[in-house]
Amino acid sequence: MSLEPDLAAAVATLERVILGKSRQLQLCVACLLARGHLLIEDVPGVGKTTLAHALARVFGLGWNRVQFTSDLLPADIIGVSVFDRSTQQFEFRKGPVFTQLLLADEVNRASPRTQSALLEAMEERQVSADGLTYVLPEPFFVVATQNPKEQLGTFALPESQLDRFLMRVELGYPDAAHERELLRSGERRDLMERVTAQLDSVRVCQVQQRVRHLHVADALYDYLQRVLRATREHPEIKLGLSPRAGQGLLRAAQAWALLAGRDAVLPEDVQAVFPSVAAHRLLRRDPVASGDPADFARGLLRTVPVDA
Amino acid sequence: MLEGRLAALRSRTDRHALLWSSGVLFAAIVLHVDRLPPWCTLTILALIGWRIVTALQGRQPPGKFAIAILGATLLLGIASQFSGVSGLAGGTALLTCMGALKLLETRSRRDYFVVIGVALFLVIAACLDRQSLLRLPLYIAITWLICTALAIVGTPNVPLPARRAASIAGRALVWALPIAIVLFLFFPRIQGKTWTLPGSGTAVTGLSNEMNPGAISELTTAYDPAFRARFVGRPPPARELYWRGPVLQNFDGYTWRREPRSIYRQAPLQYLGEGYRYRITLEPHQRNWWFALDLPTGGPSREVMFTWDYMLVSLQPVRQPVSYDLVSHTETRTTEPLSPLQRRLALHLPAGRNLRSHELAVAMRARAGSDASYVQSLLAMFRDGGYVYSLTPPKLDVDSIDDFLFNTRSGFCGHYASAFVNLARAGGVPARVVTGYQGGEWNPIGGYYIVRQSDAHAWAEVWLEGRGWTRVDPTGVVAPERLDRGFFEALPQAVSTTDRMLREIDWLSDARLAWDTLNTWWKDDVLEFDLGSQFALLSRLGFDSPRVAQLGTLLAGAIAVWLGWLLLRFGRMPRARDRDPLARAWRRLGERLAKAGVARRPDEGPLDYAQRLRLTHPALATNVAPLAERYARLRYGPTPSDPDAITAFVRAANSVRLRETG
Repeated sequence: MSLEPDLAAAVATLERVILGKSRQLQLCVACLLARGHLLIEDVPGVGKTTLAHALARVFGLGWNRVQFTSDLLPADIIGVSVFDRSTQQFEFRKGPVFTQLLLADEVNRASPRTQSALLEAMEERQVSADGLTYVLPEPFFVVATQNPKEQLGTFALPESQLDRFLMRVELGYPDAAHERELLRSGERRDLMERVTAQLDSVRVCQVQQRVRHLHVADALYDYLQRVLRATREHPEIKLGLSPRAGQGLLRAAQAWALLAGRDAVLPEDVQAVFPSVAAHRLLRRDPVASGDPADFARGLLRTVPVDA
Repeated sequence: MLEGRLAALRSRTDRHALLWSSGVLFAAIVLHVDRLPPWCTLTILALIGWRIVTALQGRQPPGKFAIAILGATLLLGIASQFSGVSGLAGGTALLTCMGALKLLETRSRRDYFVVIGVALFLVIAACLDRQSLLRLPLYIAITWLICTALAIVGTPNVPLPARRAASIAGRALVWALPIAIVLFLFFPRIQGKTWTLPGSGTAVTGLSNEMNPGAISELTTAYDPAFRARFVGRPPPARELYWRGPVLQNFDGYTWRREPRSIYRQAPLQYLGEGYRYRITLEPHQRNWWFALDLPTGGPSREVMFTWDYMLVSLQPVRQPVSYDLVSHTETRTTEPLSPLQRRLALHLPAGRNLRSHELAVAMRARAGSDASYVQSLLAMFRDGGYVYSLTPPKLDVDSIDDFLFNTRSGFCGHYASAFVNLARAGGVPARVVTGYQGGEWNPIGGYYIVRQSDAHAWAEVWLEGRGWTRVDPTGVVAPERLDRGFFEALPQAVSTTDRMLREIDWLSDARLAWDTLNTWWKDDVLEFDLGSQFALLSRLGFDSPRVAQLGTLLAGAIAVWLGWLLLRFGRMPRARDRDPLARAWRRLGERLAKAGVARRPDEGPLDYAQRLRLTHPALATNVAPLAERYARLRYGPTPSDPDAITAFVRAANSVRLRETG
């Protein structure tokens, strides 16, 4: 089995827009296909918004962008009930969350109350207002960004809330060659007009279904459990991966395997997504001493044998 | 419920259980088929066939009532045939029938176990019945088959492939081997062979307790071994190999018989020269006498009497192979005079018979100066009188001695011994006929003599004052080659073509002797392993005064060690990866690759590894990378693992070349 042409084309298109970040792009796409939500953590100006925009266009999704600020209220995201004089009734005006791809820019700038409203919507895939429940559209994919360097006047997402994001990806600066090309070709947002949709929302849901049913052998479940146990038994780690994180890891690995054109998940797939899935979830005793979280996660993987 | 039962019966595993248990029952019955009355065999076959046919057609097996009637009928039939069911033959017949009946009412797994258990008991019965080395492989094979059936029936839900079951059974038997050996060596043997049930022997030809011309000529063509003799140290020269058997004293003019009374005293013997120590392994011959090199110093045990005419006689006939140790001297002397009673017996001749030879004897004795020179002149007469050695002499008249001496002049050892003793007695020299065996075939592989029925011989003993009973072999002067080279060389035409081939083709001859050696070891050291042998083993192990209690201690200790070993071996069942051929092959390949210097990291997936090899060791990767990809497909792929594909992978992984230059 090989990768389906529309998915291949989608990834190729993304690579034309975001230069030199092939692996991160694949992780983002895997996150979408695994029905997860994505947290991009990076300094401004490396193309987070461009990436979200490009994803929405390539996958044919409707998208909204919310710039989080300290005075942003939950209603600004969820929506608000307004009294309609003509009908003499309250009418719910849907907020920007009612979209297929939501870019929550600088999510750590908003108050915890607003943050948690968003996180709830992400988890439940529905919104409650005035005793009524409104189902969010499918697919529903949140791309949140935060700037780790900026501390003043921000509310960093608490670790427990980070669990809601399937993956955390860092884009980082482009390397010299790609940066030169970036400088030469001018504004990336202009390219966006030429980015055409390779899939539509129905097709995305269909692929998401396929990911869920990708074959997982007993031996792989064994390996996955060994990995989870390793996170829980590691002396450096205060809190290992939760069962929900384990599910997420499996789903992400399935999506990765699908993107690699395979019909079954291999340990390599688990290993490929593990740093992105686990790094923001592992609660370490001494984060400074044990270094970069992704590197730490990769080091942890080295302690887990593939064969029993 | 009926529907359910039938469905269960039709299910594959149940059919397997039925077919296997009836199969092994049949195999175990085959061991006894020549012992069972034909009606019994036919009934059993019919019962087994009935059960299988009804099962295959999905019909109900017969009810309890029918089985009870059948059982009672069979029991009556067997009891009347064998007059009871307590003996080995009757008991075995009953067991076979009841096993087949049990098969009729098999419904659950437990019933199949019972049938398989019956088959095992039938093998034990066969071991009690016959213990020849030739049957040993058969017993082992059938035991293995039965254990295979046990493995199949014991694995209820998954149909176990026969080959796998056989491997399980074989391994279980191998693991049981140590304890079998320990039990064999140390389980205290009760004196006398209790495991041998009496009366199960078959008639085997041998010397009889009477002799008339013709009796021994039947023997001479029989090539079966009579016994084997293994000497400790140097054996005596071939000319001295006279194996003493029945001594015949009573003559009615035609037939020699043993003296039935034992009112005589043994004349005391002085043993001269060096003694020969040896062990004889006697084939069962259904008579009470035991053979010994002429002359033994006594019997091997208190159960065997050393008679007044120097025979070894036991109370019970020899029905099983026996081994016994003796010491013999080929030279003896008795200085005492012969007792009047014995003298009368040793001079007795039927009145009015063989008158011509009587006259001749009287005349010759008168010419000779002494008894000794008379014996010499008789021998000279046989040597020079135109007598020939023949295995097919003409029939003799009622006065057999006269007819032989004066008319036919042709005969074998019996004729010469008979005529010689008759002449000696007529001349007033006490004499008697001794029958037994002469010579034997030296087995260079085993280092012992095989004495065969064709070595049967008859010679004479005369009483000479001052020397006692002295062996005289008139056949030796007529046909010296008979004694020097043995029967076979002297009269090759008397032996059947097969036997001649066995001896004349070198490798066949070697094979025959090797087989005989093995067989002798089997009889001497395995079947004859008794309390005495156990005590000998104990003293070799360093016990100064062996006792039965020590055997028990050793036995208990050995069993404890064995159980401990089993516990260590099976207490921790092998991990899944050891049982999984795919994982095992992958691990072994990994070990080989590590030796080749390109170890896979434990945390490295197969595809990553293949990718790394392609970069660092491209030549090696051409062989290994496809294997790694195959492994990934087999291990993690969506299709259920196909045994053939796994086997193919295992073969490929085990045979892949790991040299980069390759």
